[in-house]
Amino acid sequence: MKLLVVEDEALLRHHLHTRLTEAGHVVDAVGDAEEALFRADEFNHDLAVVDLGLPGMDGMELIRQLRSKGYTFPVLILTARGNWQHKVEGLAAGADDYVVKPFQFEELEARLNALLRRSSGFVQSTIEAGVLSLDLNRKQARVNGEVLQLTAYEYRILEYLMRNHQQVIAKERLMEQLYPNDEERDANVVEVLVGRLRRKLEGGNGFRPIETVRGQGYIFNEHCR
Amino acid sequence: MTPPRNKNFSLRARLMLGATVMVFVFLLGLYPALQQIFTRALEQAVEQRLAADASALVSAARVVDGRLHMPDKLPDEEFPVLPARQLGFIYDSQGQLVWRSRSAANHKVDYQPRYDGRGHVFTRAWDQQGQAFFVYDVEIDLLRGSSAAYSIITMQPVRDYRPMYKSLKRQLYVWLAGSLVFLVGFLWLGLVWGTRSLRYLGRELDEVENGQRKALSDEHPNELLRLTRSLNRLLNSERRQSQKYMHSLDDLAHSLKTPLAVLQGVGEVLAQQPGNTEQARTLQTQVGRMSQQIGYQLQRASLRKSGLLRHRVRLEPVVQTLLDALNKVYHDKYIKVEQLYPADLRMPVEQGALYEMLGNLLENAYRLCLGHIRISAGKTADHYELVIEDDGPGVPACQRERILQRGARLDTQNPGQGIGTAVVKDIIESYDGQLQIEDSTLGGASFRILLPLN
Repeated sequence: MKLLVVEDEALLRHHLHTRLTEAGHVVDAVGDAEEALFRADEFNHDLAVVDLGLPGMDGMELIRQLRSKGYTFPVLILTARGNWQHKVEGLAAGADDYVVKPFQFEELEARLNALLRRSSGFVQSTIEAGVLSLDLNRKQARVNGEVLQLTAYEYRILEYLMRNHQQVIAKERLMEQLYPNDEERDANVVEVLVGRLRRKLEGGNGFRPIETVRGQGYIFNEHCR
Repeated sequence: MTPPRNKNFSLRARLMLGATVMVFVFLLGLYPALQQIFTRALEQAVEQRLAADASALVSAARVVDGRLHMPDKLPDEEFPVLPARQLGFIYDSQGQLVWRSRSAANHKVDYQPRYDGRGHVFTRAWDQQGQAFFVYDVEIDLLRGSSAAYSIITMQPVRDYRPMYKSLKRQLYVWLAGSLVFLVGFLWLGLVWGTRSLRYLGRELDEVENGQRKALSDEHPNELLRLTRSLNRLLNSERRQSQKYMHSLDDLAHSLKTPLAVLQGVGEVLAQQPGNTEQARTLQTQVGRMSQQIGYQLQRASLRKSGLLRHRVRLEPVVQTLLDALNKVYHDKYIKVEQLYPADLRMPVEQGALYEMLGNLLENAYRLCLGHIRISAGKTADHYELVIEDDGPGVPACQRERILQRGARLDTQNPGQGIGTAVVKDIIESYDGQLQIEDSTLGGASFRILLPLN
């Protein structure tokens, strides 16, 4: 998933960037609200982690502006003050959950995953589509109960397509899921990855949920629940 | 410390009582004076009347050969009529009775004139039955040109004037009582008008306390303007101080907790490397303790009670805002929240403190419940009550005592407890209230908050 992290403290931002990338996300980490608004306009994010105590425009105002611009991705607040008036104000401004500093990374990750699941309409941590089941916590795919050996990139593409099932997804969107913004991109990589993923899913049972929409992108055409 | 119970009367009641007593005493003093004035006026009228009677006697009298002659029928009919109302006597200069009116035939009034040829006397005398008479005694030395030394005495029973006197006394009572009622009524109206500005000031203060108004208005009498302006300055300065304080606390929290978050992250990274586990755990434990202490102390510091304002915060909007927030966070948990309290109930707590108390208790309830929470509140004869119940696992008896122990330090408490309950307890204690932990009929814990009425 592509995450926007807004934290002014460089060390903490770096830590979040590293740990979230390790956890399989593509992280866009910025130090202030203006940059965050710019990134939100430029790229498609699935979730934002926003520190409330930002220099200049504060986190609360950033969340308000993101919402007023029509961005619906979930927002998780990081706050130093654990008081309820702050939390309530943040949630009322448009955030979906909060984590009080300092936090354990596992807690943050669990909250992020819960928000991501919820935003794609899945309550459980497993997404099922016919014979295929995707365990979002273990980041594992199974077909008929058999674990599929997927690379991290293949898994990201599959998870993204399944979260956005029955919608056409442009190649560029998938690219954003794979690489941070400033890295060199090659559109062919997505085609290669999708081709490998299809072969692994098909295996010996003829299961072909991913279809190509010519000139537009891909669609996961199996109903997910 | 609870403020002493106000047993004093209101300012208006005091002024009213004082003025009523004053008017009453004044009228009480006025009564004998008025009575005396009337008595004097009455006596003067009687004297004039008796003098007129005496003149009538003088004009009827004749002296023939040195002897007094009185006609059988006097011009004033009253003298001969029985029973007498007015009596007439004539004495010579030696004090010998020479004539008495027919009405005076049966009366022996104890009065003896002493002739000196000049002037007149108006006095009282009594007969043998003890009946009082007004007596008018005039002495003459000439009668129709001839010298004649006589004392002419006319009398009238005092009894004749008693009904008039009584009726006047009654009228005086009625008038004075009427004046008293009238004056007290006017005083009351005046006081109502005079103290209206104080009542208006009280209403404005209530509005300031309820947060409907930021400052007192300038529409007060000159005598109160200095007070209201000073109060406004005090309110402003307290508000500014409090904002500055909150900002400082925010900055402090941010500048302490962000590095702690970095340290926490470093600890987690270290813990992943073999050989560092022990040090990493120590680092993480210490970071955890520091963060808990900082969080606890900052929250305590931010919840100081305002010395100037008596807060009355409506419960319903605070609960609703918190429920909206918590429903967002615990979106996947389908929780039924029952709310049993009057919609206009106000709690005697500062808004921030109410948010903390309810936020912490409700979050615990949301986290631990299976699917049912009950919030009930009300005002009884001697306290406000707020109860948060859930159908979760409840609080074990051993932990209840630890939580409720007065002045218990946070670090002696169960590390898993978090600072939530400790902050709740602190707030309640700062308002001289009580926290009770019981079993709920829903099956889980019941946190009961009792706050004193004032």
